[in-house]
Amino acid sequence: MTHPPIPPSVIGLVLMAIGLVALLGAGKVPLRYNFRNLLVRWKITVLTALAFTLVVTLLLIMLAFMNGMTRLIERSGQPGNVIVLSSGATDELISHLSPADAREVDTQPGILHDPQGRPLCSREVYVVVNQSLAGAPGERPRRRLIQLRGIEEPELAAGVRGLELRPGGVWFSPAGVRALTGAASEGHSSPAIEAVVGEGIAREWRLRVGDVFELGPRFWMVVGILKSVDSAFGSEVWAKRQLVGEVFGKENAYTSLLLRTADAATAQRVSEELTQNFKKAALRALPERDYYAKLADTNQGLLGATYVIAIVMAVGGVFGVMNTMFAAISQRTGDIGLLRILGFARWRILVSFFVESLMLALVSGGIGCALGLLANGWSATSFLGGRSLVFTLVVDSDTLLVGVLFTVSMGGLGGLLPAVSAMRVKPLESLR
Amino acid sequence: MIYVLAFIGSILLTAFAAFVPFFLLLFLGERGLDHLLFLRGARFLGMILKNLRRNLLRTSLTYLATFILVFVVTAVWSVLYFIDHFMAENTKGLKVIVAEKWQVNSKLPFTYADSLGRGAANPLRSEDVRPQDSMTWQIYQGTLDPNKQTRENIVICIAMEPRKLLTIMDDIWDEISTDQGKHRGKPTPEQIAELQALVEKMQDNKRGLLIGAGRLAAINKQMGDRLTLHGIEYKHIDLEFEIVGVLPKGRRYSEIAVMNRDYLNDALNSYPRTHGGVKHPLADKSLTMVWLQVPDQEAFSRIAEQIDSSGLYQSPAVKCQTLSAEIAARMDANQDLIWGMRWLLSPTILITMALVLSNAISISVRERRTELAVLKVLGFRPGQILTLVLGEALLIGTVSGLFSASLCLVGTNWVLNSLVENFIYVPNNALWWGPLIGAATALVGSLVPAGSACTVKVSEVFARVT
Repeated sequence: MTHPPIPPSVIGLVLMAIGLVALLGAGKVPLRYNFRNLLVRWKITVLTALAFTLVVTLLLIMLAFMNGMTRLIERSGQPGNVIVLSSGATDELISHLSPADAREVDTQPGILHDPQGRPLCSREVYVVVNQSLAGAPGERPRRRLIQLRGIEEPELAAGVRGLELRPGGVWFSPAGVRALTGAASEGHSSPAIEAVVGEGIAREWRLRVGDVFELGPRFWMVVGILKSVDSAFGSEVWAKRQLVGEVFGKENAYTSLLLRTADAATAQRVSEELTQNFKKAALRALPERDYYAKLADTNQGLLGATYVIAIVMAVGGVFGVMNTMFAAISQRTGDIGLLRILGFARWRILVSFFVESLMLALVSGGIGCALGLLANGWSATSFLGGRSLVFTLVVDSDTLLVGVLFTVSMGGLGGLLPAVSAMRVKPLESLR
Repeated sequence: MIYVLAFIGSILLTAFAAFVPFFLLLFLGERGLDHLLFLRGARFLGMILKNLRRNLLRTSLTYLATFILVFVVTAVWSVLYFIDHFMAENTKGLKVIVAEKWQVNSKLPFTYADSLGRGAANPLRSEDVRPQDSMTWQIYQGTLDPNKQTRENIVICIAMEPRKLLTIMDDIWDEISTDQGKHRGKPTPEQIAELQALVEKMQDNKRGLLIGAGRLAAINKQMGDRLTLHGIEYKHIDLEFEIVGVLPKGRRYSEIAVMNRDYLNDALNSYPRTHGGVKHPLADKSLTMVWLQVPDQEAFSRIAEQIDSSGLYQSPAVKCQTLSAEIAARMDANQDLIWGMRWLLSPTILITMALVLSNAISISVRERRTELAVLKVLGFRPGQILTLVLGEALLIGTVSGLFSASLCLVGTNWVLNSLVENFIYVPNNALWWGPLIGAATALVGSLVPAGSACTVKVSEVFARVT
């Protein structure tokens, strides 16, 4: 049984803690004096701590945003699934498969079957719809991008993806439409298209089963809500493929096929087989995980920018801490001289002031982490890989660890030079 | 990771390098003011400079912290500035985009081109408004190697009428400007003549391709080279090109190419001859968008109404909006990110700056209580002491803000952008953002300590002095 690798941040923190405990345990360090000083000079302590808290809170929120996006992408795809596009297409949006192209793909060896013997193959049409939203008078009308997926067999499609409906909902009927009733039917002769919406969209638009919404030129009625939060499917609307094709000019065509195989290795093998050796059509097949992983490529730039901003802010904060500690030391040269005369060695003075800085950082950083934790579960929308995705911010243990490491680093860097200068104070001169 | 560390390192180096002008200001400024004591306020300013020089370490650390935080705010505001600029509606000389109403991946029949190019104006109605100019875009994406498609071997071609490069597509000259966001598209007569010659070449040779400098380098080709692009969306439509020229130097179109639309349309029309009489699946969906040039908002509204009410564009339906509205609509998908940058990130950095400055000034005031008491005994009024303390904070904040924003502008626009294509641009407005941010946060952060400096009680201070 293999254990997951220990993150470097944990290793760093543990080593730091061990080093500190060793230093503190090796001899007397006047920690109570340092702690009392923080309390006595509480105004300066609070000002410095507030700056720390703000930086750490902001860092956690930014990381939670990135975390949420990354997690969404990672959970959007089963290891054993294969997505089939037309040759050369990198995205479902620009893929075009005719019915002839899609024939016999599901007879490929390695594809699983359901208890009724049907191959687990979902034929789909994927469209991104540009929807106007009414704005306040005088305001620019806003738009939103909505991922719409036309499905032939919804239960099969959900099964292939490992998704299910929330209780109280149903899949769309074979006809895929339902008559509008009441006020919604006024002025509209066409029936509403039955739709299953992802949890993210349902939460964002405050939709429940039975609600009617407008999408493109038609009205749509929510018949079910997918349990799909934290995956890209949470931001999708599913409906009958033929109807989606008719409304958006993709009749008699698919954009993708989704196949289920036993595991990741089989998915890789089937992908290669379909891409290189399938003679009946020019296809591009790849494991579904790899397909969604490519969407996360744009994340890397954002993640880099997040760290740059956070580190630069932290450097600013470090100078602030340094300022505070240097001022504190210059006011306490008498105390330091006295401590030296009492027998505290230079290195103990160094450790003492270093730990004072760390104490300040840890407490304020801890408050920052606690405030950042409140962001966990916040809902946000972002444009990623050609998709408008609804996701939740995630503050997990890794994020908190990064926050703590950040705090400790800021406190350590900010306190090191002042502590060295404290160490070099000459006792007799300081007492004159 | 290396780029991230190099970027941070360069900011720190710049911050330390910016000490030089700051210290010069402190030292030389004080010397200069000594000769100008006859000027009202010169003595006061001299005292401020002396106070800052007294504890160089604290002044330096405060300066550094402010410098670095203003740098970050300037970078964030630069991004927001350009987003706002591109989303701001022009009132004159509008460009309008007509594209598919519902789908993001706009695919219109080419038969729409002619009537949309006239703004759906009815030829029998003279009162209908016509656009000043129009242009069609069809997007052909091709790869040099169909078996191994990579970002480097893909070329995105805009299929259009070549002569429109000289008229409606005037943004081909644009750099992303730093000049209050105004486009700096002012080509020289020689540049225009060069482009005219290239346009004529493309009109004579339908296979001619104009390609952006960035894309030319990426596919490792040169002027005069021939290449075959294999259609990605336009499957089985493989086109041979000859590179006849490079698009004008400007970041906007550096990564794309321009081809003659007749070449693509001819290929689509001849497709059935080689494919058993069957039309290409995209034969009736080849038009991506139509651009219209209109004089003002009123003309745009009239044309939009003409298009909506014509009844000609039902399957698929079209939408007509200005370029800025189109950009804004795309930005709407990132509204949470933009909101976070504007209302979370920027205010947090500003508050942090105020706290750092407040901290530094508080420490300074606490250390100088005796001195402040002496000043009061000598006749300085509380308002003057307030001004003294605020002046110190304002001086550090304003100077560090000015230097930071200036170096951010120069370093990003002149240095980074020459190394990394399409890095952010810092607008010239940064030259007043920096001092304003520094001054405002210094003022806010130092109000309380300055207030406490005014209220120093002489009797209390001297009661403790032994």
